[in-house]
Amino acid sequence: MKTRNDCREWRELLGAHALGHLEGDEKAGLEAHLDGCARCRDELASLRPVALMLPHADPARFGPAPRPPAELGQRIAATIAGEEQRAQKRRRRRLFGGFALGGATAAAVATVLLLFVFGGGEQSPRQEVEFADLPAGITIDAALEPHSYGTEIHMYVHGVPSGTLCRVWLRGPNGASYPAGTFRYRWGDDSDAVLSSALDLSRTRAVVVDTGKRTFVAPVDQPVAALHNANEEEPT
Amino acid sequence: MPGRMIQLGNSTRGALSRERDVREAYSAHSGELYGFAVRSLGDAGLAEEAVQETFVRAWRAGDRFDPKIGSLRTWLFAILRNVVIDLGRARAVRPGVAEGGIEPSVEPLDEALTAWQVEEAMRRIGDEHRRVLVETYYRGRPYAEVAEELGVPEGTVKSRVYYGLRALRVVLEEMGYED
Repeated sequence: MKTRNDCREWRELLGAHALGHLEGDEKAGLEAHLDGCARCRDELASLRPVALMLPHADPARFGPAPRPPAELGQRIAATIAGEEQRAQKRRRRRLFGGFALGGATAAAVATVLLLFVFGGGEQSPRQEVEFADLPAGITIDAALEPHSYGTEIHMYVHGVPSGTLCRVWLRGPNGASYPAGTFRYRWGDDSDAVLSSALDLSRTRAVVVDTGKRTFVAPVDQPVAALHNANEEEPT
Repeated sequence: MPGRMIQLGNSTRGALSRERDVREAYSAHSGELYGFAVRSLGDAGLAEEAVQETFVRAWRAGDRFDPKIGSLRTWLFAILRNVVIDLGRARAVRPGVAEGGIEPSVEPLDEALTAWQVEEAMRRIGDEHRRVLVETYYRGRPYAEVAEELGVPEGTVKSRVYYGLRALRVVLEEMGYED
């Protein structure tokens, strides 16, 4: 049997032993040494879990790790900044809504503001709608703009599974639905989907989004209707 | 499954509720998250999507992160794990999305995470140590043959296997492994 005077020499066989690669005299000699060396037993015990993990790995994947593209961090920062802006906007909207409901004076202020916003000033007559009671983690924002051809819909969705096909309709005063188109939600795309419907904004009573599993409805406020011709024929 | 493997990371950062915190977390962990996402999804584009969604979800839930319960790294990997599952489901109904020549992982996600950690640890140890482990363990070649090829004594190959396993253990501990 091979003799080894130095504990270090035996210890350097522990790796091969942990992998089950030693045999014969060398294995017997090491096992005899282990019987009398607590330090080497402890060392072997610390190597065994690592040896047991090796079968999980694929040696074909030991090459250089893929690195994320440089712009990914910027995209994430932009997405988060966009979400933060939307959240602030929603908070402002809720604050204003609560204020307007607070009394007649506030309502009058709200009316004046609505007339300013929708009454032909320099600002766009864009109308935002709110999807209430959304499940946790899901965000849907929509803004409507009147046009001579009908209504333009800017829609932002976040929190549904990536790849979800979203179908959008406008609902008219008679309850009928008017298609506004479809878009596919992708994680990482923070842009608004821009859709359109032939239904005039003045006749629009709700925005409906169907994500396949769920349908979400946001009512459209009425004040804007008075600023448009209510006698036009509805699209078919 | 050896030991209690899936205990990742040991950093103790604060919540991710500020954009600056997200930037710091991204700088520290995006490489590993992306590497695991590529391995699991087999598609670089989907992996980017997964990492982005992971940080956005982490930011949204930043107030709920508690460093006393686990490290930020562990938390991010837990989020990524869920994102990868969601993406896998989405891909199942959209066949043909994965492209680019990288084979997606087919093992269960927890095993994929173990595998990825070993592979990452293998990348971090020295070339000589990795080489002997690949030749003797993964390729099953005799030590004498490997020694001859490398031009070193057989005992040197054995000692390199030992020091290679030790190096792997150290790296895995740095990555958060506890046995």
